[in-house]
Amino acid sequence: MLTYTLRRIAVMIPIMILLSMVVFSLAKMMPGDALSGRIDPTNSSPEYISAMKEKLGYNDPVHIQYLRWMNDILHGDFGNSFIHKMPVSQLIGLRVYNTLFLTLLALFFTYIFAFIMGMYAGKHPYTLGDNMIATYNYLGFALPSFFAGLMAIYLFALKLQWVPASGSIGTGVDVNTIAFYVSKLKHTILPALVLGMLSTAGYTQFLRNDIIESSRKDYVRTARAKGTSESIIYNKHILRNSIIPIVTFLGFDIGGLLGGAVITETIFTYPGIGSLFIDSLTNRDYSVVMTITMMLSIMTLIGNLIADLLYGVVDPRIRLD
Amino acid sequence: MKKALLLLLSLVLVLSMAVGCSNSEPTTTTESSQTSESKEEPKVEPQYGGTVTFAYTQPFKGVLMRAYYAGEDDDLILNFMHEGFLTTGDDLKTYPYIAEYEQSADHKVFTFKIKQGVKWHNGDELTVEDWKYALEVIAHPDYDGSRYSNVEMIVGVDEYHAGTADSISGIKVIDPYTIEITVKEAQVNTLDNLWSYPEPSKYLEGIAVKDLASHPKVRQNPIGIGPFKVKKIQPGEFVEFERFDDYWQGKPYLDGVIYKIIDADLSNGLLENGEVDIIQIPSSQYQEIKKLTNINLFEEAALAYSYLGFDFGRYDAEKEEVVMDNPKFQNKQLRQAMAYALDRQGLIDAFSNGLGTIIDTPMPVVSWAKAPDSELTHYDYNPEKAKQLLDEAGYKDVDGDGLREDPQGKKFTVSLLAMSGSEIAEPRAQAILQMWKEVGLNAELNGGTLKEFNLFYDLVQNDDPTVEVFMGAWGLASDPDPSGLWRKADSWNFPRWYTEESDRLIKEGVGEKAFDENYRKQVYVDWQKIVNDELPMIYLWSPIDVYAANKRVNNVDANSFTIQKDVHLWWVTQ
Repeated sequence: MLTYTLRRIAVMIPIMILLSMVVFSLAKMMPGDALSGRIDPTNSSPEYISAMKEKLGYNDPVHIQYLRWMNDILHGDFGNSFIHKMPVSQLIGLRVYNTLFLTLLALFFTYIFAFIMGMYAGKHPYTLGDNMIATYNYLGFALPSFFAGLMAIYLFALKLQWVPASGSIGTGVDVNTIAFYVSKLKHTILPALVLGMLSTAGYTQFLRNDIIESSRKDYVRTARAKGTSESIIYNKHILRNSIIPIVTFLGFDIGGLLGGAVITETIFTYPGIGSLFIDSLTNRDYSVVMTITMMLSIMTLIGNLIADLLYGVVDPRIRLD
Repeated sequence: MKKALLLLLSLVLVLSMAVGCSNSEPTTTTESSQTSESKEEPKVEPQYGGTVTFAYTQPFKGVLMRAYYAGEDDDLILNFMHEGFLTTGDDLKTYPYIAEYEQSADHKVFTFKIKQGVKWHNGDELTVEDWKYALEVIAHPDYDGSRYSNVEMIVGVDEYHAGTADSISGIKVIDPYTIEITVKEAQVNTLDNLWSYPEPSKYLEGIAVKDLASHPKVRQNPIGIGPFKVKKIQPGEFVEFERFDDYWQGKPYLDGVIYKIIDADLSNGLLENGEVDIIQIPSSQYQEIKKLTNINLFEEAALAYSYLGFDFGRYDAEKEEVVMDNPKFQNKQLRQAMAYALDRQGLIDAFSNGLGTIIDTPMPVVSWAKAPDSELTHYDYNPEKAKQLLDEAGYKDVDGDGLREDPQGKKFTVSLLAMSGSEIAEPRAQAILQMWKEVGLNAELNGGTLKEFNLFYDLVQNDDPTVEVFMGAWGLASDPDPSGLWRKADSWNFPRWYTEESDRLIKEGVGEKAFDENYRKQVYVDWQKIVNDELPMIYLWSPIDVYAANKRVNNVDANSFTIQKDVHLWWVTQ
């Protein structure tokens, strides 16, 4: 297992270098730069823009710019955000906890609901309840998150006024008081529910199908013949086997932890990595865009690695050497 | 809400009784007549207390220093907490505010005297050193903001900027409240362009200029001299302000202001349930928000305009001048015909909820320098006239396919470059093409599709050969001087058009004789007549900004560039 892990990590290095090249060249191929938005006679001038371009090194050959960027990154410097006028690492640091909180909460909802619904549907296939769950799943697949987000805001925030409509924290609360955490939760629960409930569909369907398939297996029949109670059969014998495919999802989820909420964050004006990413893209804030893209790519690689390792843990038949 | 209404009603009742009393008894004592007089004013006495939520729809960057901020997002925050020495009036002229000034006979030496006793939020007194400091920051070699052009006119700035001088020779502090600034040449709009915001020199002492923009004293704990001081900043989400009791114009009525970022799509709902008090609304939600009963709307033509530019040539970067070498749109009748073919009001009504004012010259509608309508040609929708002009210019349909050919009989197409960005961008561009087709011009979208903002300006700026007609927009400064966008030497002169006469008038407008305001206005009127007739671009409209304010907030007023006028006088009915 250890050698397998090391081997995988070694393979990741050339992939990352390749990734960095792709990310860099895609970013540079975008038309415009951070200064395009400054074409405004009331607030700047052509002289300022050309002087800044020179200063930021936009006029250097592309490969020089790439090497400089890589060199800085290897020294732990992700550059400065031109738009936000602060170091990128600091900027991301300000936001990363919001996003982690949101996505972890969303993941929590996803798993809870997926397990409840998936197990119910798998245990009672082709009943009314199963059909309703299936309908919900199709809706979950079909509904775009911006639409679901706006509907949820309209209903729960504007009409019922249960939760605030936007932001990650209320005004007038001091850090690290109980009111602070309550406010934080109140602000995060709606986007987390929208994010979590929409991705429930895939998990539920997987779990359901696997449970149905397993329930027809020989070992289940044997268990039944021995007189084992239905609930033990489903919760112990079948569920353990059916969790295995879900583990694949978990790997992707870890990869998506930081970037999976781009649209939801924007709709809820939730200041996380996702909304920062969108914002930086429209402003052509290269250093931020490239850092976030690299970060997400690396997270995905690590997520996949974790998923593969977890296979070995949950399924003793898989040996990783 | 009900309670507030009750209070208002009873107040009105009491007032009317008092008035009635004094009227019925002509022989009242001086004492009671005094009280009735003071209460005769129809408006209710302002009350202290309360908080107002001011919303914006884009996340803010939090660069809270006038010298460095870039976008409207931070500008709105700074408007609550900081003020300049001079101010711009509703008529877009510059007026003395915290500073009074005198200028020498040759208009080169300005002596500013500032009010005494103005306090920074941390208790320090405002002195002219703070202004000197701000000017030095902007002129500093390490400064990377965009405001250098606002100090460039001062004598000695070039040396300081190059690092060869330790101070700016044109700035002379006479005493803590008096400063003398000498400029390189007499220009009528010196004060409109001169940087007039002080920065807290003591508070920021010892911070290197290159670290200023990211320093916690700017990002987390900025101070100013405005009516509200920053209490808490939640990056990208909101800023909490509290009242600044020592504000130089007196204690503000409100306890505080919350500046909050919301998603634009929620404006309507949040205004309705009172979570947002004041906001500039997205024009797409105008119809719904207009129906709300708890808000007042303020509609003002913005300091901006949209246009359809014709491409006349290119910008020669080496010689730094415009070269008019593209023959396609050199024919004035063709350009005018294309203007007459457009139903601009129809476009505004169909795609912007009617929120636009038609313009025929690139000047703010409210500007004192705008040419009177009687002096200008109005390109009102007139397809017949367009056809007639095209016929006269020789653009006729010779091969009978319903589309006009150029005077040489070759196929003539017009390609329109338009920006994407909003849901109405595509149908609006299609409507423009349709209107041109109706007068027989074969118009199509450049590359068959809309272009994203950055790509659009890449193509226009680099004189891409596919660019023919492009739909852009410009913001307008409060001073009417058109230099920067219209001269032969301007790289932002995107149509790449100029005439000697136009260049001469632009120069004249800031020249020596222009110190006479009537003369200056006449120069700009003459200039507007040229660009109105020559039509290097079809002027479309000035968008109308709509601000919504909850009725509980009193004393709110908007002008063409802000709703944050005298925010210390805002008060809420409780």
